[in-house]
Amino acid sequence: MNASYLMKRLGYGLLLMLGVVVLNFLLIRLAPGDPAVVIAGEMGGATEEMLESIREEYGLNKPVLTQLGIYVGNILQGNLGESFFFNQPVSKLIGERIFPTILLVLSALITAIVLGVFFGVLASRKPNGVLSAAVAVFSSIGYAVPVFWTGIMLIILFASVFPIFPVEGMMSVKLRDANIFIRSLDVLHHLVLPAFTLSVIYLAQYARLSRASMLEVLGSDYIRTARAKGASERTVLFKHALRNAALPILTVAGLQFGSLISGALLVETVFNWPGMGTLAFESILRRDYPTIMGVLLIASGIVVVANLLTDMSYRIADPRLRGES
Amino acid sequence: MTALLEIEDLRVTFNTRYGEVTALDSVSMHVNEGETLGVVGESGCGKSITALSTMGLIPMPPGRIAGGAIRLNGEDLTKVSDSRMRSLRGGDIAMIFQEPMTSLNPVFTVGDQIAEAIMLHQKVSRDQALKDAIALLDRVGIPSPDKRALDYPHQLSGGMRQRVMIAMAVSCRPKVLIADEPTTALDVTVQAQIFDLLNEIQRDYGSAIILITHDMGAISEMADRVAVMYAGRVIEDATADQVLDSPQHPYARGLISCIPALGKGAQQDRLAEIPGVVPPLHMLGAGCSFKERCSLTNARCGSEKPQLINHGAHPVACHAAEEGRA
Ligand SMILES: Nc1ncnc2c1ncn2[C@@H]1O[C@H](COP(=O)(O)OP(=O)(O)O)[C@@H](O)[C@H]1O
Ligand SMILES: [Mg+2]
Repeated sequence: MNASYLMKRLGYGLLLMLGVVVLNFLLIRLAPGDPAVVIAGEMGGATEEMLESIREEYGLNKPVLTQLGIYVGNILQGNLGESFFFNQPVSKLIGERIFPTILLVLSALITAIVLGVFFGVLASRKPNGVLSAAVAVFSSIGYAVPVFWTGIMLIILFASVFPIFPVEGMMSVKLRDANIFIRSLDVLHHLVLPAFTLSVIYLAQYARLSRASMLEVLGSDYIRTARAKGASERTVLFKHALRNAALPILTVAGLQFGSLISGALLVETVFNWPGMGTLAFESILRRDYPTIMGVLLIASGIVVVANLLTDMSYRIADPRLRGES
Repeated sequence: MTALLEIEDLRVTFNTRYGEVTALDSVSMHVNEGETLGVVGESGCGKSITALSTMGLIPMPPGRIAGGAIRLNGEDLTKVSDSRMRSLRGGDIAMIFQEPMTSLNPVFTVGDQIAEAIMLHQKVSRDQALKDAIALLDRVGIPSPDKRALDYPHQLSGGMRQRVMIAMAVSCRPKVLIADEPTTALDVTVQAQIFDLLNEIQRDYGSAIILITHDMGAISEMADRVAVMYAGRVIEDATADQVLDSPQHPYARGLISCIPALGKGAQQDRLAEIPGVVPPLHMLGAGCSFKERCSLTNARCGSEKPQLINHGAHPVACHAAEEGRA
């Protein structure tokens, strides 16, 4: 893997994020409604004088392009602005919320990939078997059902029928003073339902994709070669076939990372998971523009980084791509 | 004396949408230690299926070994356990495939792939196996083998990949080496080199070779004995000289007339002597399966399947040869 290629991809990523910043800014500023009124509303009551001073303070009376310039300039210095609603720096708000989101997204992704691939590989051994049919049915359902619906159904199921998993929040209040180990377990306990909800769609898709990909790979000449060497069926499946079948799965997982993030934002609001999704939800309700834009920027940053990582891992996994640009 | 590898009355069927078809019908052949058996016939005659049956690599389903025996040193491979078959595959019997471009796994280095074959059958460390792999690459004529061992298949030419396949196949000094059209996908100049290499391997390792080909020129240079196959049956079985000098079956004669240097009528066109194609398996009717393409047919050919019988020179499955009309 060469460094110049990486730099190029990184450059594209940064350009993309700049585009996101500009577009968000313009969309939100061009939308009807006066932010000054919103800010004043949060402070409780507003005379025209107060509105004027708020506009002055937040620079809202300057031309839009000037505001954009100031905003981009601030971002380049790492300053995402000040939340209208929370009266805190946006970067601090996001800093508190980013870890829960990443935890949720990664657990869902890993669950989806590991279980999806596992079921897909098993199903590929008997293309007309029961498991294959189950994978097909399950993946159509997973594809069709919206994630918030799955979430709400799970909440109903686990809140009233089997109250074994918490359906709300990330930590129990009563365990706040327990040691780190107990608290981590508590977080994991809270994580189960949101992560499962978020992973269901992807799990179903990865199972179907792995099955198809494995079936194709299992018909290859090099699989016959592996068998001709005397390799065991397990080695053939999980070493020779899966290493090749994983390539399309990796591509799709990378491509879907963006939709996984947006799914996470939804799931967070359903389960009141204290991540960037609930933050976005609250700030949208409150028209807290700096926070909304900050969340969108960081979310797109995460997607850019994820795509970069996918690209690198793809090159590691497929030697035919190395040395190309 | 019993042969090293003996295939006897082997019958292999496939479930297809036309119902069950017979891909191999009572196929018998054998190869002795250090000997080369040529198996010839056009595409679709059952050569690869014979080889894959011997390797225990017929896809089941849809395939099924419906009868007969494949004996390696007397042990019937159609009856042994899966784990026994795995220990024989790549150990005592190894195979080189027709498709060097696609037969190596694209995501592992060739050194690793050879080393894997070694470690599957010998108790050696990974380091030792890699060293052995490099020695094998050297043995099969790959320059700077220590560097090439680190290459991935896509970095090698077709000829080099086939050499890697050969290195892998002979890594455990197989008693029987099956080469299924090893040069079909390669340049003519490379073809000769691969055949030379196979000859050297046989001299060094003493392996018996089953060389599958439709190249009669290769047969004349490599083979001691020849089995001619047509539509899932062996139709002539003789020494290479006998088949080349006095083929009995009209089909064998057609094949041989296709080699410009050897053929009596020296035809340049491939199979110009034999119009038509091999009939699909589900269309095989009663009688001789070659009857549609044969100029010597009579009523008996349409109704009675000729058996592989010695009518004087060597075993041949042809009524015309039996009746002296050939
Ligand atoms: N999986 C399969 N299902 C059905 N028929 C098959 C299958 N594999 C091979 N055959 C049939 O078996 C016959 C012999 O094939 P093969 O041994 O590959 O011929 P060749 O002599 O060219 O190597 C062909 O007619 C082919 O169509
Ligand atoms: Mg073949």
